[in-house]
Formats: sequence, C-alpha cells, structure tokens
Amino acid sequence: MALPLNAAHLGEPGLLQSRLKIVNFAVTKNQEEQGRPRSEELGSFEALMLPHLDAAHNLARWLLRNEQDAQDVVQEAYLRAFKSFGGFHGANGRAWLLTIVRNTSYTLLKRNKTIDFTTPFDEEIHGVRGEAQSPVTLLEHSEDADRIKEAMDQLPEEFREILVLRHQEGLSYKEIADLAQIPQGTVMSRLARARSRLREFLHTPNG
Amino acid sequence: MNCEEAIRLVDGYLDGELDAITNQEIESHLRDCRACQQTYEAHASLIGVISNRATYYRAPVELRSRIQSALQKEIGDGSRQSPAPVTASVLRRKLPTQRDPIFRMQWSWLALAATLVVAAVMVVNSQRSRGDQFLATQLIGSHVRSLLANHLTDVASSDQHTVKPWLDTKLDFAPPVVDLSSDGFPLIGGRLDYLDNRTVAALIYQRRKHFINLFIWPAESAMTTAGKTISRQGYQLVHWVDGDFNYWAVSDVSDADLQLFKQAFEKQLPHR
Repeated sequence: MALPLNAAHLGEPGLLQSRLKIVNFAVTKNQEEQGRPRSEELGSFEALMLPHLDAAHNLARWLLRNEQDAQDVVQEAYLRAFKSFGGFHGANGRAWLLTIVRNTSYTLLKRNKTIDFTTPFDEEIHGVRGEAQSPVTLLEHSEDADRIKEAMDQLPEEFREILVLRHQEGLSYKEIADLAQIPQGTVMSRLARARSRLREFLHTPNG
Repeated sequence: MNCEEAIRLVDGYLDGELDAITNQEIESHLRDCRACQQTYEAHASLIGVISNRATYYRAPVELRSRIQSALQKEIGDGSRQSPAPVTASVLRRKLPTQRDPIFRMQWSWLALAATLVVAAVMVVNSQRSRGDQFLATQLIGSHVRSLLANHLTDVASSDQHTVKPWLDTKLDFAPPVVDLSSDGFPLIGGRLDYLDNRTVAALIYQRRKHFINLFIWPAESAMTTAGKTISRQGYQLVHWVDGDFNYWAVSDVSDADLQLFKQAFEKQLPHR
C-alpha cells in the first residue's frame, strides 16, 4: 500500500530534465532552483535524524561530561551527518548518527587532551569475578541518579560509552561493534568490565 | 558448564546475546549453583540500576533550533561541498547570524553545485519517502492503539476551551484547538501521544461513527506545505504544515471526508 506515496516522489523525469537544463543554460538565474532540492534533502534529513537528537545529546553529554561541549559536538555532528547524508543507505539512522556523534566527541576529547587516564584500568586485573554482592546492598548504595552519575563519570570514556549505548539506547552487541569498530566478543567483555568497575565505584562510599 | 564459564557468560546472557543452547546451559547451571545465582542477581540488579536510574540527558529545546539554523546556513552555503575542517573554532563558533550572500559565489562553484543538485534529487526522493513511510506507520499505529485500548482521550470534552488549556499545560507548545461541530466533525477531546521521539498533541474528532486523530507538533521549518495524502492499510493520512505546526490527520474515513476535515480545520483556525 505504499504505492501512492512512492508515486508522489519517484519518477518525474521531466523534473530531472529541467534541472539538467538549469545546469547547462541557466546557471545564473537559478539560485532558487538550486536551493530547493537541498531544502528537500534537508527536510528528509531532519525527518530521519532529528528524532535521534536526544540520543545524540545523551551520548555526547556522557562522553564529554560537559553540557556546552556536548551541544557543540552534537551540532557539529549533525552538520557532518548532513554533508555525508547522500552516503547513508542503511536502515539504522540512529546508529549511523551516533557513530558520527561518537567520532566527533573523540575528536574534541583528543584536541582538548581531556582524555581521562586518571583511572587507568587493566583488563586482566579488573576481571568480572569476585564482586558478587547482594542486589539489596547495591540498591541501597545507588538510590539516586547523582550517585550513579558520579560513579559513571569516573569510568574511562570507552566504558561510559558502552554503558550508554547498551543500557540507555538498547543497541545490540552487533550495533555497538559496528559503531565502535571492535569485535563483538570485545563488546561483551568490555561491557562486563564496565559494569564491574561501576559496581566497585558504587560500593565505594562517596566515590 | 562450570562456574568460571557461567560467570564469563552471565553478562551476555543478561543482554540476551547468547545462542539458545548456551542460554539453556547457563540457566541449568544457575538453577544448581547458589553462588552463580547470586552473581547473576547482582549483575541483573546493576543493569536495572544503569538502565533505569542513570540520568538520560535529553537535548535542550534550544539545541534543536540551533542545529536547524546551522543546517539552514549549510544550505545557504550549498556550493561549498567540501566539509569544513573540524577545528576548535568550528566547534566553538557561535550561531551564524546571516547567510553568505549567494550572489558572491563563483561561477565554477555554481556549475558544480547545480550538478550536485541533480544527483541530490535522485537520492533525496527515496530517502524522503522512507522517512515519511516510517512516520506514517507510527501514525497509523497510534491511531489504531487509541481506538483499541479504549484510550481515545485524556481529556474528553467537546469544548475547545477545556481541551486547549489542558493540552497547553502538558506540552511545551500550544497547539490550536477548534471545534468543528458545525462542519460535521465534532470535537471529542484531546490526548497526549508520543511520535517521532517527541510528545505530540492529538485532537480527536468524530465523523459519523468514525474517529479522526489529528496529531499536531511544532513544525521544524517555516515552510508551508499544501496537503499531501497517503493511503495505507485502509487508512487515510493527510499531512500539511502551516508555518507553525505539523499536522497529520489519520482516519479510516474516506479521502474526500478527510480533505473536508482539513479544509474545515483551516477555515476555523484563528488567524495568528
């Protein structure tokens, strides 16, 4: 039943022809004509990508731990995304946009040299064993969002990132693997380590 | 499965990322092993805490308009097809106040831009329709749910002066509400709905035994568009934009009736 919709947008070879003429003969007086398809593209881009603005902002905010930086990065990411929108053919607009947000965030983090190595972690040492605590204890310690935020902000960014992508955005291992360009097995082990570290921080009184 | 394996895989199990056989092995191990069962519970509770209690930083409203302005500017600068390098100044720059005068563009850029335009037309049409189709599916879903779940209205009133203030207090925008009884579309009430990742207003009108859901949310650009009709799964959808708001009317009434509805609504709309 999608036919009427498609029919409205597809085809129109005449339209295309007239645009070709613009290219060849009427370049000078067609600023409006030029602007129009770009506006259509913008409309399409906004319809597909603006719904993911909260997700984009949330990821950037957790990665950068700073509201102003997060907003700047999200804006920059949307501009980048728009410029390469023609190359987007996937079905998953959110993952595509989040990849750009992530890369833009890391660009800024690197430039500002704010990558936080104050809490270095050793993947071997910080295994997933030996931290079993009763769920009751955990909940007692982590009742408010501030405390979780404090704990999460102490984690290295690849841990913050993976927790946000998995638990706030609900991305699959496969989607996270594609987004962060790591093998799926690494997604699982990194997630386990991230949770393990978070659990430790939550159990440390006042961070 | 031994404890070491079970602990290694418990996160994948909680994430629903293991295959069926491994799932069964883990489950049978957890039934028999108290220690691993406790670990499982601890991990499950932590996941619950992260998912439900960690702050979700929604984008502030002004960020959306900031991005839209920047994108508009981008269109204004459409001839420069190479992306500007990302520098600190780009990341820090303030909102553009004015578009670059398009007339200053060089001829070669114009020709190049025009060529790109042709390519863009071809790409855009498919993507645009995909976005609309996705939204259309969501809209029909909302319309059907509102009828199925006996949750047609949050505020049931044929009085626009009751429905409008109720919606205004619940939303971050003030949708227009008009009664169309005189046109044969009595107002039944209003409802909040969630579409396109945002809270929207839904006005419910009746046409004989049928209902019309009119979804309203702020327009993303000031562009006005005439009505566009989509017909899917036996439902009619009419979409239009009036400069301030996006309107989507969804119903199983005939296309003609829905067009009448749109006309009646626009006629009754207070001039702003």
